[in-house]
Amino acid sequence: MTWTLIRGVVSGCIMFGVPLLYATLGEVIGQRAGMVNLGLEGILLVGASVGFAVTAETGNPFLGVAIAVLAGGVFNMLYAYLAVTRRANQLASGLALMFLGIGLSALIGKAYIGKRIVGLARYQIPGLAQLPWVTKTMFSYDVLVYLSVPVAVLVWWALFRTRWGLSLRTVGESPTAAYAAGRRVDLLRYQAQFLNGCLAGLAGAHLSLALAMAWTEGMTGGRGFIAVALVIFSRWHPLRAIVGAVLFGGAVTLQLQLQAQGTGISPFLLNMIPYVLTLGVLVLWAGSRRSAAPGGLGRVYYGED
Amino acid sequence: MRSALAGAAGGARRVWALAAARYAIILVIALAAYAAVLLVAGKDPIKAYVDIMNITLGTSNGLSEVIVRMIPLLLTAIAVALPSRLGLINVGGEGQLYMGAWLATWGAITFTSLPAGVFIPLLVVLGFVGGGSWAAIAGLLRAKGWVNETISTLLMNYIAPLIVGYFVYGAWRSADSSAYPQSAAFPAAARLPRFGDTRIHLGLLLALVALAAYWFVVYRTEWGLKMRAIGGNPEAARRLGIRVGLTMVVVLFVAGGVAGLAGMAEVSALYGRLRAGFSPGYGFVGFMISWLAGGSPLGMLAMSFLLAVVFSGGSVLQLTQGVPFAAVNVLMAIILFVVLVQPHFWRRRKA
Amino acid sequence: MRGLNRFALTLLLVLSAAAVFGASASAADPCLTIGMLMGGAKNDAGYNQSHYDALMEVQRNLPCVKVIVAEYVSDSEAESVMETMIQQGAKLIIAAGFPFQYPAIAVAERHPDVKFIHPGGWEVRANFGNYFAKTQQTFFLMGVAAGMMTETNKLGFVAGMPLGFTLGNVNGFHLGARAVNPNVETHLVWTFSWGDTTKEAAATQALIDQGCDVITMHLDSPIAVLQAAEAAGVYSIGFMSLESQQFAPTGWVTGLGLTWGDFYTQNAQKVIDGTWAPGFIRMGLAEGFLEIAPFGPSVPQNVREFVLSVTEGFNAGLLNPFTGPIKDQNGVVRIAEGEAWGNEKMGDFDWLVEGIIGSPQ
Repeated sequence: MTWTLIRGVVSGCIMFGVPLLYATLGEVIGQRAGMVNLGLEGILLVGASVGFAVTAETGNPFLGVAIAVLAGGVFNMLYAYLAVTRRANQLASGLALMFLGIGLSALIGKAYIGKRIVGLARYQIPGLAQLPWVTKTMFSYDVLVYLSVPVAVLVWWALFRTRWGLSLRTVGESPTAAYAAGRRVDLLRYQAQFLNGCLAGLAGAHLSLALAMAWTEGMTGGRGFIAVALVIFSRWHPLRAIVGAVLFGGAVTLQLQLQAQGTGISPFLLNMIPYVLTLGVLVLWAGSRRSAAPGGLGRVYYGED
Repeated sequence: MRSALAGAAGGARRVWALAAARYAIILVIALAAYAAVLLVAGKDPIKAYVDIMNITLGTSNGLSEVIVRMIPLLLTAIAVALPSRLGLINVGGEGQLYMGAWLATWGAITFTSLPAGVFIPLLVVLGFVGGGSWAAIAGLLRAKGWVNETISTLLMNYIAPLIVGYFVYGAWRSADSSAYPQSAAFPAAARLPRFGDTRIHLGLLLALVALAAYWFVVYRTEWGLKMRAIGGNPEAARRLGIRVGLTMVVVLFVAGGVAGLAGMAEVSALYGRLRAGFSPGYGFVGFMISWLAGGSPLGMLAMSFLLAVVFSGGSVLQLTQGVPFAAVNVLMAIILFVVLVQPHFWRRRKA
Repeated sequence: MRGLNRFALTLLLVLSAAAVFGASASAADPCLTIGMLMGGAKNDAGYNQSHYDALMEVQRNLPCVKVIVAEYVSDSEAESVMETMIQQGAKLIIAAGFPFQYPAIAVAERHPDVKFIHPGGWEVRANFGNYFAKTQQTFFLMGVAAGMMTETNKLGFVAGMPLGFTLGNVNGFHLGARAVNPNVETHLVWTFSWGDTTKEAAATQALIDQGCDVITMHLDSPIAVLQAAEAAGVYSIGFMSLESQQFAPTGWVTGLGLTWGDFYTQNAQKVIDGTWAPGFIRMGLAEGFLEIAPFGPSVPQNVREFVLSVTEGFNAGLLNPFTGPIKDQNGVVRIAEGEAWGNEKMGDFDWLVEGIIGSPQ
């Protein structure tokens, strides 16, 4: 019984942690450049609807993913334009993007509700899937699941091991100092937001093409905001984001698995855990300055003109 | 506002005309952009706007529904505007609204036999304390220097509806409708009175009183003027002898209380029962309104009215043109974008 | 930002000008305008589509009828949507979402000349009636099919909200399965929503992880569950709209479709004739409120024949699944020997039948 539960939670938290991880990685890049993007929810929805529509029209889920990634990146350029070029308030710009994403995705997806698609295929890991204690669903995932950890490592490498990453983080700590050091602040922020949008689009496409295999309005169910919380939880680090995403995905799965097993713990209490935990982590780390929030986070940079 | 009042009558008229022209242009841009979206979606934009006008503002019922929608928007906007005077960013109106409704419901289903004259004031107090305490937690975390209030209020938005869900599906689930997860019905004396046969309720009065109080405190008291002058600089405040930490907690308590009133009023006046997920995101729209109006009292009144029209328009367009309801979010977003982009004719001239 | 009040004032002026110029005359008058509001999308291959398809059938049967449809109506919007429909001339309103009962009654009291019907409720007023299909009893047949198909003796049920009617469906399903397979267990997972597709897929996965090999559901749209079951290679049983079979081409066992077309046509005709009267209406397979979907390719002949023979007996009124003695999960007798629960009790379940694994809340 317990073993079934553990197996179920492991396979579930991988599946449901992955879209959270992609969205979180994007937001980590964005926030490392000093920008909070509350519009993530809207980008996820655009990615999910565009990915689904393209797949339904062409029958090719990989094309769907590719277009969703691009759509997410391009869509997020609106936020970047407001918050970087027009120096608008970041929170307000993000919420505006969220509202736009909710509306646009409803228009895009309207014709595709109840449509059938061939979703992303699942591949078993040879060898592992043959082990006796493994169920059919363990070690059988779509390609985006297998790519998620490598992408997290890539983001970590780009942020902490390249010149570009150093520049980006400098911009996040202090745009003024970065400018003085000859960094192109606005350009770097645009790049960060483009990547953020691409990754959020990818996360959305994973939801509609691999998990639900359907488009419904508002299907992201607040995952964009969970990702913002996860960035804080993982304290702006791409590798810790993996832990956070698995934990958050695990909370949802655990609750469903416990129900299926007949254990009655209120799902409402279990669903609270990630948020309470994030608050707790923040309080716990309150004193420490090491690798905490980027110094210039959320502030409007007015340029040096 | 103050400078406009202080200006000479003739100059004021010119400023008025100029401003009106600017806003007309902004509005035309927003409506034209949305018209383009409608055209792409294969709808007739002119007919769409005519329908919105005819049905929302052209009939007494439509207008009253606009005002019903406006009440929670205005209250949650005030809940954002007040702390912003201290430089505090309260993104948590949504959660505070839920907690106000939660505590008020506790009162309504616990003290079932009070007369209306006692019950209504009690609900107002409970709604205020419910939302206020929730926000005060964020205030305390901030005052201690532990957690930034933007982050904590954002996170707590997601905890509050889960608390409501926990009670509505659990201990408070009514026995009279085993079919539906909701609290027991509020006693008749615990229902906020409505005006005439519309759905407009006492919450409107509460919202207007809150708005007037906000205006008075911020623009007419010494404390408010000081806050405006300091503008979120805690060091300056400290030098003026203001106890910054305590002030943060109190201000967030009051702000959360105002948002809590919105939740209490929705539940008591409109549904008479607490249900999970009763707010369609009023708190977030309230944040946008406060931001768009820059905290100006009349601006918030106007913007909450405008966005209430937009939302009512959304359900109209679905009925007359088959535009998905969620598409109103596009119109709302376009209005926000136009304001955020700050075209040259909109920007304030720097003194 | 000062002077934003002027913004709103200008908006008012511009829009009122538009209203004056655009006041339009209506086209040929319809014989009846029907307003239908639903909580989700009209093409969800599920609950909402069953109502929408039926409305389209009304329009085919009575071409002079005009229909107005509102999708994704939230509880808080319901009253004002209905008011707008009435302004648009609606004389019959189908409040096709479970939570719309009391909003509809509130509007009905203000508009005595408009008729309202509501699926799944229990109240009746002078101009407000309710109706539903006998899904709880009919789920017994689905249970019979599931009980015969399962190899692991574990069935899975994904359900939205723990309402009395939903619990009844789960109970009916389990009683049917137990009748043909005494060792069967039914595992139940709630998603606490009618339309969170991702969570529905996750719940299906959780049930499969527990070893369930036949999955059914009570949700707005069965799509996510059917596809997740299909992807994992287990059997599934559909519910709501007959459209849903295409989502599980190999694992599909059978399903229940809600078919309201005739009932809506009769209601429309009666409103036109002035003979409409409210009622508490519960009908089933025999009366055309429900239809059993075709069997899937993997269902063996003996199962098909057995399910059809039980269906015949069921239609002949020989079988009430909720006939005592029936014990709940704790072994307490809830329906006593010799007692049988009828239509009016189908919303009263707050317990689950012995052998169901899951919580009734």
